[in-house]
Amino acid sequence: MPALLELRGLRKTFGRGRRALPAVRGVDLDVARGETVGVVGESGCGKTTLGRMVAGLTPVTDGVIRFDGSDLDGTSASRENRRRIQMVFQHPAQSLNRRMTVGAMLAEPLRLLAGAPRSETAGRIEEMLALVGLDPAFGSRRPRQLSGGQQQRVAIARALMPDPDLVVLDEPTSSLDQSLRGRMIALLRRIQEMRGVSYLFISHDLGTVRRIADRVAVMYLGRIVEIAPTRELFDDPRHPYTRALLSVAPTMDLDDVRERIVLPGETPSPTDLPTGCSFQDRCPLVFDRCRSESPVLAPVGSYRLAECFAVAPASDA
Amino acid sequence: MSTLEVEGLTVGVTRSPTSILADVSFSVPAGKIVGLVGESGSGKTMAALTMMGLLPDGIELRSGSVRMDGRQLLDPARMTVSRESADMAMIFQHPQAALNPTMKVGRQIARVFSLQQGAGRSEAMSQSIEMLRRVGIPGAARVAGAHPHQLSGGMCQRVMIAMALACRPRILIADEPTTALDVTIQAQIFDLIRDLVAETGAGVLFITHDLAAVAEMCDSVTVLFGGQVMEEGSRDDIFRRPRHPYTTYLLDSVQKEVDPHVVEAGVDFELVGCRFGHRCDYAWEACGEVPDLVAVGEGHRSACFLHTAEVTRAGAS
Repeated sequence: MPALLELRGLRKTFGRGRRALPAVRGVDLDVARGETVGVVGESGCGKTTLGRMVAGLTPVTDGVIRFDGSDLDGTSASRENRRRIQMVFQHPAQSLNRRMTVGAMLAEPLRLLAGAPRSETAGRIEEMLALVGLDPAFGSRRPRQLSGGQQQRVAIARALMPDPDLVVLDEPTSSLDQSLRGRMIALLRRIQEMRGVSYLFISHDLGTVRRIADRVAVMYLGRIVEIAPTRELFDDPRHPYTRALLSVAPTMDLDDVRERIVLPGETPSPTDLPTGCSFQDRCPLVFDRCRSESPVLAPVGSYRLAECFAVAPASDA
Repeated sequence: MSTLEVEGLTVGVTRSPTSILADVSFSVPAGKIVGLVGESGSGKTMAALTMMGLLPDGIELRSGSVRMDGRQLLDPARMTVSRESADMAMIFQHPQAALNPTMKVGRQIARVFSLQQGAGRSEAMSQSIEMLRRVGIPGAARVAGAHPHQLSGGMCQRVMIAMALACRPRILIADEPTTALDVTIQAQIFDLIRDLVAETGAGVLFITHDLAAVAEMCDSVTVLFGGQVMEEGSRDDIFRRPRHPYTTYLLDSVQKEVDPHVVEAGVDFELVGCRFGHRCDYAWEACGEVPDLVAVGEGHRSACFLHTAEVTRAGAS
């Protein structure tokens, strides 16, 4: 059975000519039914653009998004596909309508996308509020009467309302306090167990992704540089960027004796990429070939790929 | 010898009996990094603003003492802290918002030298560029001529740190200095702060909600909740031998599985007694009063009736 979501050679370039900014530069990625794929990377790596293309909010420049066997072209997705792919944004205060009550916000997708009869609406709203751990009384409240954590629960409820198959979650826990993040992750996992929904979970927070994802894709400058099952990626990162990223992520473990790899400099501008590997100027393993050829994803073990000449010898362009 | 000692800080909303900080004490010894940790609304930023004499309108300092090497910095007539001789400098969470957007960054730093040491314009500017070089900015002379919007977040935070250092502070207050930055850049800024402590012997008050950052950076930790100090101790005390139920809750919420359906309650500032009371699993009648900080180990103190009334409670149950 093909994966629920298949991305092939997906690209997005903003602007054109000399000022063209390639945000996503050829991404291949599959998400299976009921699977959570984490996409991690630092600001500007293209992870949000990737998620927005999947959700149909940003037009695709090139490449294919195949959803449940049929191609989406990003902009004119059918109503049915819009129902089946939903999105949760980073800042719930900005993504919820300030003027609507929670109940009205939850009723809208049901009416517009799922075509549910009016008689069922109230019951489904109550059921959904219970699923995300909110009392039915929240239905009559407005966003400003809710805390950040409660707002994000409402945003999740709204996304689930039309019974989607895939939810794109863009930094859903980043605006929340650390003590609430764990609870939000547990909630998302519970919902997944009950409904079999797939998640494309986008975050810069490695700790959060580790707790929810089945597989993790690491992005750098618009490309996936490594993808692996979560445990393998965290236990044994292969790509030099992944290694550095994991080594400097702070940990509460006082006995942790990892060697920290502090990368020099900053991510180069995507408008001015060097020839060859885009990580070359910060890479501790760089050699001649990296400055002339661009590596592609190649196997570095079972079910895992990395895009690096130094660690994946088969990564010929 | 302690460099900075804060005692009994009480801060509240004008004409309201509610206090945002209630009897908060901590100290920052020279050459040490002290963590002030808590969730949103715990009052950690208010504590920093009080010490900098930057409390916003409508918020008043009611009592307390802020001493530097025994010298009182609090002006009892105006109930504000005077920052004379610039012994304290602060860096903020959003460096781009904290810098002057209309002035080149080199000039912003140069003004500190002009104002504090009466340096001439060109002398101040060359000191400014030297300072930018010291915080690891490549091409310092060129960056000095840039406006904040032309620089990345990591670069702006370096500029803020350079500006703070230009004051030659004995205490650096860092309020969530890396929350807005990527982890690879965070690692660079952490290294920079550690180097400064080693080089200048300044004490650092490191304010954050990120426990992993505390574990990585701090020598000792003060845990705040709802404006009250819950627990204080060395890094080892707090992470290996936490005694206060709130500290345990905070550590568990990051490390352990939590029940997704328990909705976060936030801080109730109307609550009399221990502010953690209504969220605490151990709360009982005694918690209607504020518990004192009591020693639970060497240099390790915790504010909970569990420590003082363990015998009574065991007898009662």
